[in-house]
Amino acid sequence: MARTSDILGLNARSQLYSYRYNKPPGKKKAASKLATKRALMAYNIPIPQTYVKFVKPLKINKFDWTSLPSSFALKPNKGLGGEGIIVVKKRSKSEDGWITTNRRKVTIEDLKLHVLDILEGAFSIRNVPDVAYIEEFVGRHKAFRKYAFRGTPDIRVIVFNKVPVIAMMRLPTKQSGGRANLHQGAIAVGIDIATGITTKAFWRGKYIKYKPETKRKLNGIKIPKWTKILETAVNCSIATELDYLGADIVLHPEKGPMVLELNHQPGLSIQLANAAGLRKRLARVEDLRVKDAEHGVKIAKVLFAGRFADRVKAEEGIKILKPVERVKIYAPGKKTIVINARIDTGALRSSIDRGLAKELGLLKEDNILWKRRYAYRSAHGRQPRPVIVLIFRLAGRKIKTSASVANRSKLATPLLIGRNDLDGFLVNPVESE
Amino acid sequence: MRKTGVVLVTLLAFLFLAKPCLAQFIDNASENNQSLAVEKVEEATVSAEIVLTPTPSPRPDITEKTLEVVEPLKRLLDEQVLGTVWPFNPIKYAIRGAVDASVPPNTIVLLLLLPGIAALIAAARHLVGIRGFGIFLPAALSVVFVATGPIVGIGLFLVIVIVSTGARIVLRRTKIKFQYLPRMSFILLLVVLGILSVLFAAPLIKQSSLANVSIFPVLILVLLAEDFSRVQVGKSAKVAVNLATETLILSLVSYIFLTLESVQKFVLLQPEMYILLVAATDLLMGKYVGLRLMELWRFRKLISSG
Repeated sequence: MARTSDILGLNARSQLYSYRYNKPPGKKKAASKLATKRALMAYNIPIPQTYVKFVKPLKINKFDWTSLPSSFALKPNKGLGGEGIIVVKKRSKSEDGWITTNRRKVTIEDLKLHVLDILEGAFSIRNVPDVAYIEEFVGRHKAFRKYAFRGTPDIRVIVFNKVPVIAMMRLPTKQSGGRANLHQGAIAVGIDIATGITTKAFWRGKYIKYKPETKRKLNGIKIPKWTKILETAVNCSIATELDYLGADIVLHPEKGPMVLELNHQPGLSIQLANAAGLRKRLARVEDLRVKDAEHGVKIAKVLFAGRFADRVKAEEGIKILKPVERVKIYAPGKKTIVINARIDTGALRSSIDRGLAKELGLLKEDNILWKRRYAYRSAHGRQPRPVIVLIFRLAGRKIKTSASVANRSKLATPLLIGRNDLDGFLVNPVESE
Repeated sequence: MRKTGVVLVTLLAFLFLAKPCLAQFIDNASENNQSLAVEKVEEATVSAEIVLTPTPSPRPDITEKTLEVVEPLKRLLDEQVLGTVWPFNPIKYAIRGAVDASVPPNTIVLLLLLPGIAALIAAARHLVGIRGFGIFLPAALSVVFVATGPIVGIGLFLVIVIVSTGARIVLRRTKIKFQYLPRMSFILLLVVLGILSVLFAAPLIKQSSLANVSIFPVLILVLLAEDFSRVQVGKSAKVAVNLATETLILSLVSYIFLTLESVQKFVLLQPEMYILLVAATDLLMGKYVGLRLMELWRFRKLISSG
């Protein structure tokens, strides 16, 4: 599926993206969770509320520990890989402590000692003294209740150049101790960017279909508030000026998406979860001009939509197309029209006639993905073209894609369909036109 | 975790089983060297008596300034015929000048080899994907191996790994709660006790290479212990053991590189070319953005799934 040159390795991640696009101030913000919170708060991006933070050991005894609510999370400010985090869900029956999500009891004394450990730097990189803080507990959204073991699943979105390029959900398992950390045994579930529906699940070195020890399918889960999640991730990138980042987002049952932390060198396993190479996706959005989060998400949904070609193939068999097909075009707020389209395996992206596009209202500002990016090399020589969102129905399949706008007024067909949209079809060249 | 454990045990078993053969091999080699030396000396017929009765040493140690280490290197320098100083020979002349002013040539060789090892370790990370504890530790460990011999070195290394892991597990099980720095210092104490017990066991083991364990290699090993338990406290035991295994592999490879006679000879006789070679390798590696060998393995499902 993916070629080796499409896959992003550690060398390329550091040299081509992380170091090149992330500046030190942004990295500083990402390295400290409290600094992340400050930066995001300034942009009104939702984050879990902080109850208290401990900078000096003195505060530990001054703080009124009994004032804490029945659920909260104690975290190191600069912790790595989810280490050093204690999450409690309710008070213990004896009222002198709390019960963690792992069903372990912790007392105030345990918490104090843990804070001391954090301050000493037991969980930070190179053991530099750290800061501890206690924040609001984010529970599980009901959509995930059947899939996550005890903990809260989080959604990792990698954003590059304000476009969310790839996403996965991390499901806590019994083996991960309820933690959403892949190294500790959480399941990595790939997500289709366009729809927010899960596609594949990768766990302990192989693809799995069901949640371990159950018969619950892991693909086909629809993640609520998907567009909001993607836009939140892009806004994080804007707020911290990190052009290449991974945002860890949790879905609060009532308050919606919240950002837990940001990572300026996000891990690479996300490629396995999605069975897709990241390097090619990054190259596709590298020098686009993206206005804002909404625009970035729109581009992502068109460029990185899963084609579900395999599923379609299995369900209805492979369709055979003629060189010219009748195609139904959908235009927002207008009647659909049926036109002739040339099936062209020599072209990559589909292309629509300028006159027709204008007539259908497809050249409106909010439907244009980008302008003048490429000087296309085509049969017409090199010329810049706008690229727009196009939705059409071909041989019974509805396809949402990107199409370039060109002057095809002198050609027989106003629409040309390229390889990008021909996955799962065969073309029979001898069939009469 | 289990897999790495098995690998460690087999590695250890292999080393101990292979020890007699290895010793024999080294004996043979030194015999050959001696006979060679004898031939040479007979040709020279000047200081034959001195060389024919060498002091019995268990193993030539290039980190020490002993006669049997220094002499062959000096002879190598003397045998090479040099042209003019510029443009190709400035470092060669500088080396000779320094050696004539009684700077030990083995120090020069080791010093020159150090960037080579660093490049080797960098390549292991950037081209292969073996991580280890940074770049300094494997390099230092390989020098320790050269100084103490690989078997004693690995033995001590494993003692440290086992003691610090054991201490951590026991502290966790018994729920003795320490603050971080006192806990580290306590673990260090246990590590030192572990190393001491190995040294105390010397009369039982009768390992001749225990005889020349000096303080500096041991110090480096103790420093390593600190790093090791630091990683352990921060990360899972699995990560720590993996890193330790990778470090061990890296330093064994570096050790072999350090002790290869042909490499030593090349470095000493062609220092200019060697330096350029290392610099070029470093530069090229720094520009490499392709996949690492182990990443091909990591993403195999992704590559083959089409």
